[in-house]
Amino acid sequence: MKILNTLRMHYQTGCLFVALIALLVLWLRPVTLQKRPVYNVTIIVDITRSMNATDYQVNDQAISRLEYVKKTLRQLITQLPCESTVGLGLFTERRSTLLFEPLDVCQSYAEIDAALSHIDWRMAWAADSNIAKGLLSTVDMLQKSGSAIIFITDGQEAPPINSSYHTDFSALKGKVNGMIIGAGGLQAVPIPKFDQQGKAVGFYAQDDVPHRSTFGQSNLDPSQIEGYNARNAPFGSSAAKGTEHLTALHETYLQQLAAESGLTYARLTDLETLQHNLQSPSFALEKPVLADARWQPALLALMMLVCVYWPRCLSLRK
Amino acid sequence: MNLAVDTPWLLAGLLLTVLPLFNNGLRLTAMPWLTMIPADGVSLAIALLLRLIAMSAIAGLVLGLAGLHRTEQSVERIGQGAHIVLLLDRSSSMDNTFAGLAASGKVDETKATAARRLLTAFVAQRKNDLIGVAEYSTSPLFVIPLTENRQAVQAAIAATATPALSFTHVSKGLGMALSFFQEQPLTGSRIVVLVSDGAAAIDSDDEQKLRQWFKQQQVRLYWIFLRTAGSPGIFDKPQDSRDDNAQAMPERYLHQFFSSLDTPYQAFEAESPHALANAISDINRLENLPLQYVERIPKQDLSAVCYMLATLLVTLLLGIKCVEIKR
Repeated sequence: MKILNTLRMHYQTGCLFVALIALLVLWLRPVTLQKRPVYNVTIIVDITRSMNATDYQVNDQAISRLEYVKKTLRQLITQLPCESTVGLGLFTERRSTLLFEPLDVCQSYAEIDAALSHIDWRMAWAADSNIAKGLLSTVDMLQKSGSAIIFITDGQEAPPINSSYHTDFSALKGKVNGMIIGAGGLQAVPIPKFDQQGKAVGFYAQDDVPHRSTFGQSNLDPSQIEGYNARNAPFGSSAAKGTEHLTALHETYLQQLAAESGLTYARLTDLETLQHNLQSPSFALEKPVLADARWQPALLALMMLVCVYWPRCLSLRK
Repeated sequence: MNLAVDTPWLLAGLLLTVLPLFNNGLRLTAMPWLTMIPADGVSLAIALLLRLIAMSAIAGLVLGLAGLHRTEQSVERIGQGAHIVLLLDRSSSMDNTFAGLAASGKVDETKATAARRLLTAFVAQRKNDLIGVAEYSTSPLFVIPLTENRQAVQAAIAATATPALSFTHVSKGLGMALSFFQEQPLTGSRIVVLVSDGAAAIDSDDEQKLRQWFKQQQVRLYWIFLRTAGSPGIFDKPQDSRDDNAQAMPERYLHQFFSSLDTPYQAFEAESPHALANAISDINRLENLPLQYVERIPKQDLSAVCYMLATLLVTLLLGIKCVEIKR
């Protein structure tokens, strides 16, 4: 009983003492090391014409694949933890170009965001879309950078590739981490056409685009080709018909490319899925970062002070 | 003094500061008759002070926990500098070596490598400038907006180490570079530094637009021409008058067009990395007009101040507690 009494007599001193110890701890150990995932990625965006196809919906409005990609990426960089770095590049024709090397998303947020918002299909320096070669050149370009690739494309090859000229990834397989992100819907939609001033002038028609590759040797059996001539018409004389003027996400093709190049594949549906896909250990490096730990002792000190000054009329022990 | 906190809801904890008003934190001593104690001004003052100390200590802890800070401030200053857009040629010929280099045993630096190295140094020297980066080949590429973020500019210059693209379409590139100034206040000098190794004929429509934009935006132009071996220079005159047209000698005609603009213009023909370095240091020297610029003072964390205050006050309170009369 006596002990309890003494305790009651001195609890204020005790609490103040504990508070002071806590505050001393606060100054002695202000930060702790915490492991947090940080990313180092280089995002390559396909800016070929088929990316203008409008098969994404935002607020009941159809927007183009490219616009959707830009919008999602701009949201993504606000979500990445600080110290993550993001580089940006564009793909068209047979290769990609790097706009800037990876930059810290927190320190250079405004610049990355401005660059993303300015991506435009009119930046394309040539009109073809040979994704396999483009991917190969990208992997080659970034293999020494240590940055993971995020290659965003709809998989529409234009003109279609000739299967006897297959891009060989074997030399670069596994050299680079990364992911191919498929953008677009699985239903074929027409590709918008623009004039010189950038005004929409309808869609590409069947006659506007090549429906097969006429490069190199034909991959078909000569006896099956109508009007075949080994020198003058190795692909035959009749015009190819096809649906290359329409575009859909070529998922199986991209999955195959991913498998060949040692990347993973995921489809772009929304920001959450993209973030979820990024959280694989091959992208996120667990990096120790200094975290503010002062709140723990400060909270303890605050609680102690509350104990000391708790109104007597509200005392829990009458 | 714009103060803000990281976690506003924690400010609700400030309500705890009223606690010392109800309990002064002192030990109660039994007294037979309170009326016997004379009113004492000094005692009252000390009691009040003790409560204030306690309240401040609690407030300090709560504000520290909430992450009190001074928000990022921007101060307008007058310095010397410019708004510079670097317009870089990404055409594949940039991967060739310079014209003026004697065949030496050394591995020749390509034009792109030399440009990258010297531009990096240039950017590092220009302290107060806003610098943006645009590139062009067949079409213009927006890279980095006008910014004081040197890291971003350097990252963009470093990225030009990747293989170059296709052809030269200089008028679109200039259009893109000029668009950078559209939403910027007119202060100091506005410069486009065009770094290219070739030229292309500009059609009359584009010529007219560029003429108008240069005038409207009051942009000065510097053209650093990196001459390739065997190609004509900016200042070369054709030997045959039949070659005197924009298709045969685009460099000469582009230079003439630039000279005819209503804007200060200077061309540097750089035949070697050394000449390129001279051109860049010339620009560096010339462009030092008074510039109104905004200096950012980053966010200042004040939670340490709060915790320090709380630590001192708690020490004080404990000290006072120790001299309390114990009976």
